[in-house]
Amino acid sequence: MTHEPEHLSPQGHHLLSRRNFMRNTGFSLGGLGLAHLLAAEEAQRAASSDKLPIRPEINPDQPYAPRGGHFSGAAQQVLVIYCPGAVSHVDTFDYKPALEKLHGKKPPGLPAVTFEGPTGNIAKPFWEFKPRGQTGKMTSELLPQMGSLADEFCFLHSLHTQTSAHPQGENFFNTGFTMEGFPSFGAWVTYALGSECSELPAFVAINDPRGLARSGKNNFGCGFLPASFQGTDFNARNPPANLNRPASVTPADDRKTVNLLRHLNRKHLEKYPGDADLAARIASYELAGKMQTSVPEMMDLSGEPDFIHSEYGTQDGTDLKQAYAKNCILARRLVEKGVRVVQLFNGSDPSGGNGITNWDSHSDILKTHAMQAEIMDQPTAALIRDLKRRGLLEHTLVVWCTEFGRMPFLQSNGTGRDHNPDTFTCMLAGAGVKQGFSYGESDEFGYKAAVNPVEVYDFNATILHLLGLDHERLSYYHNGLERRLTNVHGHVINEVLA
Amino acid sequence: MNFGSLLTLFLLSAVAYAVEYEDDILPILEDHCLKCHGPDKQKAGLRVDQRLSLLRGGDGGFPSLVPGDASKSHLIERIKSRDASEQMPPKGERLSEEEIELLEQWIAGGAEWPGQMQALEAIQSDHWSFAPVVRPKIVFGENNPIDSFINAKLAARGLSANGPADARSLIRRVSTILTGLLPEPRRVARFLEDYARDQDGAYAELVEELLSSPHFGERWAQHWLDVIRWAESNGSESNLYRKNAWQYRDYVVRAFNEDRPYDQFVREQLAGDSLGSGEATGFLVAGPHVPAATVGREPSAIRQARADRMDEILQTVGASIMGMTIGCARCHNHKFDPITIKDYYAMAAVFQDVEFGSRFPEFDSEHPRRKRGEEIWSEIAKRRKLLRQTGGWEEDWGAYREWHLGVAEADAIRIRFKNANVTVDELQVFGPAERKVNLAHRGTGATVRGFPAEGNEGRNPINRVNDGEFGTMAWRGRVDKNSKEKPWIQLDLPKREKIDRLRLSSNREYFFDTDYLTQKPYLPRYDFDLEVRQPDGEWKPWVGTWHINRKLNELHPERKKLLAEIQKLITQLGEEGPQPGFVGRLIPPEVTRVLHRGSPESPRDEVAPAGLDILEGNLGLNSRTPGAKRRSAFSGWLSDKSHPLTSRVMVNRIWHHVFGSGIVSTPSDFGSAGAAPSHPALLDWLAAEFVSPTSQQTKPWSMKGMIRLLVMSKSFRRSSQPSTEGINADAGSRLLWRFPPRRVAAEVLRDSILQASGKLNRRIGGRSYRIHNVKKTYAQWEVVDNHGPGTWRRMLYQERMRRVDDQIFTAFDFPDCGQVRAKRPVSTTPLQALNLMNSPFVVKQSYFIAERARKEGGEKRESQIRWLFDCLLSRSPQVDEMAACGEISLQLVARSLMNSNEFGFLP
Repeated sequence: MTHEPEHLSPQGHHLLSRRNFMRNTGFSLGGLGLAHLLAAEEAQRAASSDKLPIRPEINPDQPYAPRGGHFSGAAQQVLVIYCPGAVSHVDTFDYKPALEKLHGKKPPGLPAVTFEGPTGNIAKPFWEFKPRGQTGKMTSELLPQMGSLADEFCFLHSLHTQTSAHPQGENFFNTGFTMEGFPSFGAWVTYALGSECSELPAFVAINDPRGLARSGKNNFGCGFLPASFQGTDFNARNPPANLNRPASVTPADDRKTVNLLRHLNRKHLEKYPGDADLAARIASYELAGKMQTSVPEMMDLSGEPDFIHSEYGTQDGTDLKQAYAKNCILARRLVEKGVRVVQLFNGSDPSGGNGITNWDSHSDILKTHAMQAEIMDQPTAALIRDLKRRGLLEHTLVVWCTEFGRMPFLQSNGTGRDHNPDTFTCMLAGAGVKQGFSYGESDEFGYKAAVNPVEVYDFNATILHLLGLDHERLSYYHNGLERRLTNVHGHVINEVLA
Repeated sequence: MNFGSLLTLFLLSAVAYAVEYEDDILPILEDHCLKCHGPDKQKAGLRVDQRLSLLRGGDGGFPSLVPGDASKSHLIERIKSRDASEQMPPKGERLSEEEIELLEQWIAGGAEWPGQMQALEAIQSDHWSFAPVVRPKIVFGENNPIDSFINAKLAARGLSANGPADARSLIRRVSTILTGLLPEPRRVARFLEDYARDQDGAYAELVEELLSSPHFGERWAQHWLDVIRWAESNGSESNLYRKNAWQYRDYVVRAFNEDRPYDQFVREQLAGDSLGSGEATGFLVAGPHVPAATVGREPSAIRQARADRMDEILQTVGASIMGMTIGCARCHNHKFDPITIKDYYAMAAVFQDVEFGSRFPEFDSEHPRRKRGEEIWSEIAKRRKLLRQTGGWEEDWGAYREWHLGVAEADAIRIRFKNANVTVDELQVFGPAERKVNLAHRGTGATVRGFPAEGNEGRNPINRVNDGEFGTMAWRGRVDKNSKEKPWIQLDLPKREKIDRLRLSSNREYFFDTDYLTQKPYLPRYDFDLEVRQPDGEWKPWVGTWHINRKLNELHPERKKLLAEIQKLITQLGEEGPQPGFVGRLIPPEVTRVLHRGSPESPRDEVAPAGLDILEGNLGLNSRTPGAKRRSAFSGWLSDKSHPLTSRVMVNRIWHHVFGSGIVSTPSDFGSAGAAPSHPALLDWLAAEFVSPTSQQTKPWSMKGMIRLLVMSKSFRRSSQPSTEGINADAGSRLLWRFPPRRVAAEVLRDSILQASGKLNRRIGGRSYRIHNVKKTYAQWEVVDNHGPGTWRRMLYQERMRRVDDQIFTAFDFPDCGQVRAKRPVSTTPLQALNLMNSPFVVKQSYFIAERARKEGGEKRESQIRWLFDCLLSRSPQVDEMAACGEISLQLVARSLMNSNEFGFLP
């Protein structure tokens, strides 16, 4: 029930402290008046990129109520398909003919040691590349269905990141910091925008059937933002914890408990008339009640027609693929309902071996990447096609991403590729982005970003921009700083905007 | 210097063309620099047309100009740089070689600059929190000066304050704040009686009772642990368990319960290794870290990881004790506060001997663990004495095994394994002369050889067994099963020594630091024979495991009992005695350098360990000062009575937890980006009172004393009822016209439910209770039991794994321990409602509460319901409420009450 007093923004403080600083140096400015100098400095600051934060107006009764963005964005919702473990760009979407020529060789200039140890020779893509769609985009046979959507995608081939370790990479991609404890992308977006859907959580994290990714909850956590904005974790198989009425309580009993609770709360509110925090807590019980109906409805895929099940592949292929395909249908249903952020995971942590539980193919990439592809390809492509067919791509942005790429050369074991933080490929599709377009290039091997390098900050800034948010003004004061998803970096990549 | 070169120098300077600022330098700067670093713009806070600005340098923190030394002048470095992200100017024409030479000559000649040769003054600040604390005069008469300050401000705003809270609200409020537990019905009843007789007396008695309750320390320890994001796992990918890290948590509980003076509390946490409170340094390694095994093999990544760990330490110290965002100065001068990049690395130098890891904490002779350990050790010694009479024996210490042998004298020993596959992290050898000196350590001059010398796949060479490094770097001797030659180690000592004890360990990093819980640290049972070298160079068999473990046990069956007892005592010692715990490993400090842009790949000038320059942090130390001394000196600086931050930050923190919001609403940022104090004079009065109390009965720096002062004030005892006047003028109640009601924390909910059901296990301290699985290496911790009897302790003792969601109370803004949390956000989510309605914990506890109501609430249903209200809401039901309970079962009534706003808010 306390409200943070408005205090000066760090930018404002910066000005003040610089003023203090100069006043205290006891230094004569040799002819230039102090006032003049400060006026000039302030004018310069105002004109520069130091922008003031925009605070969302959050109604405590309805923390998820829809809120306007900073400007009108092309996308109202976002679906993020995240592939933990690092998908090999040179074996999927980033075609590098030079690798064919250099196969089995070790040209100078390549490193002797990478993340896992000594390096081996260059290896050509393990799968053949073919031109796809009207654009003739070269993509590999590993992901034929995703490749068939090449005309939908905007490929970014020159992403690079700050770390070659998975958890830090996941953290960096999803929270903008390699360290733990920062708000996730989805938390930032729902903090700013709330949600169009009043019966479901604003931000849903659909975890892989195999479990959480390596950074776990950090990928969809709220960090230091209020807990309201954390992602709610469920998938087609497992409901959110404690959603259902306990078995020992009958529906009638449950109703009685709720009625008694209402009575007690109403009475208590009389003592504190107009108290927004008490009212908000009462409202949260109402939403919880709605979720008890709406979430199971979402999870129940039995009403989906057969052709949908077969298109997504819920009944053929491996068990994991079938389970992931169901998650894909769930994702579409949530998008359809207006959930603001849906984060769909394709892969978990690496227990169980390299490249088995996710894309981390340090050994036998031929086998392990194929295992992952079997799970990911058909259901994900079906999801994107389905969203398009229903017109949902008109206002929904789809992001396909992974924390970094893999090396164009093999590890010393001769069968796997090590982590490559210096270039990798991610894709955008749907609302507001160019279709059948490629931006940025890696070098001739796919070893380092070469043309128009894209930082993860830029990528996130662009996604926020598409949602109508200025990444420099979406900030939250925490321990002395206005924290942002993009830290103090990031530029919107205007070239990919439709 | 020989005569020739002296002559040349002389000639050069005599002949050199005198560079003039106006004629030679200014035009260069105008052409290339002034557009971005001049009167109109000062990118990176630098202007090149002012000598002072150049001397100080830009935000990066390096002087652009070092008169007399062009090579140290950052200006020259940036102009010459070939790195696109560094070079100046970033675009457009580069400076010509002639121009660069002119600049260098000018700098070498002292950078003469007519009219701008004034001396550089030290950085100053007039920010309030850096000014000395001056005890303000008390404004007008109230018994408790706090009320004087609060009332004066209310009067100035024309606001009237609420009257006192009713007794029920008061006891609920003060009990929750001081102990984190609701008052029990019997205590409420007694308080009501006493209060009716003598309000002040009854309340004072209650406060004293609560302050001396052992539950007081449990509640207040949690506040401190929040700030430093303490947890029992390292976070990140592996999120490994930190063994025995809870010793530090118990220290904090004890410190609050024993009312350890805050200055001592600070000193112990920074330098407890020198003060007999070794486990207190768990403070320094409270933050998350990435363990070596998951950093990767690139040397730059390994250096970066160390720099990141150092940063976690500085964040902890800065945010908790200093209330400063020190981390902002890691890459450049702090943008808002007078903290330079040099300050940052000077502070890093203070903690250069600290590494994330474990050690045996140093305990003074009175430490409870040390005393218990001495008892157990004497029991072990008794049994060893008996065993010695029968010959050698083997002890299993988990991560290592120890062989006690008869004394042999040799300058070399050989261990011939009978196993084909052997992993040895360290070999240690001891003799009777100096019990604790490891004769095998390479530092003594001992050398090793062995077979296979390069280890398995050539990656695990033999010299690792005596490198003194406990960790993943082991010797792996693997040969074919049928190979005739089995692995062996030969240890050559610099001279003949008496030897009677041998220790082999397998990856003691697990033992010392962290483990995955599934891979219990253990050394497999190896079989080997020992040989010793005679003075004549001949090898002679000494003893072997077959003899020790088989032969002697057969000969002396009585050994079996003794050996079993020793093993039991070893386990006991691990639980109850001094034990290595994750409270920081101490390493020889390296020379600390300022890292350009925070990058470990760009080390620059050496810095001496010091506190903040602006607060006279010079400690007179240098790079050769031992680590412990550095930290002691720093802790002395920080806990000095006159330090303007230490006392202010702590009294504000206490205020925050008592009143719900600090006088400074940003408790870990007292810098200029933080909030200004709502009552500056009060804050300073409290800070002054904290270090030099007016009352003789209060110790200086007493935290209990400060808390008592606050809760005894009228301001604290006010009713929380809203008034239109008050809400209109001050909706947040920051001026304290009422006590601001607020949500209770996750722990208060859980602990109070357990207390209500009568199931709360009140054991103080010790190993944490576990709610999750025993995970595999890189897997996630998964909650498997968050409600069973083993979990019925206070939530403070829940094994604190970073970012593990307990699936009930985490949703109540319980921190994930990833970042410093000076105050918890308060949020309202439907997940909270679902958890508190449907979780097995709540359902099960509501059953127990109902059971208790039947047992203790009398015969009649009405009195049982009354009991429920008393127990959970500290009041009786009103007529309509009693009616609303209708025929609902007691268990469901309890469930409703636990979900009610009244239960979840502090009145």
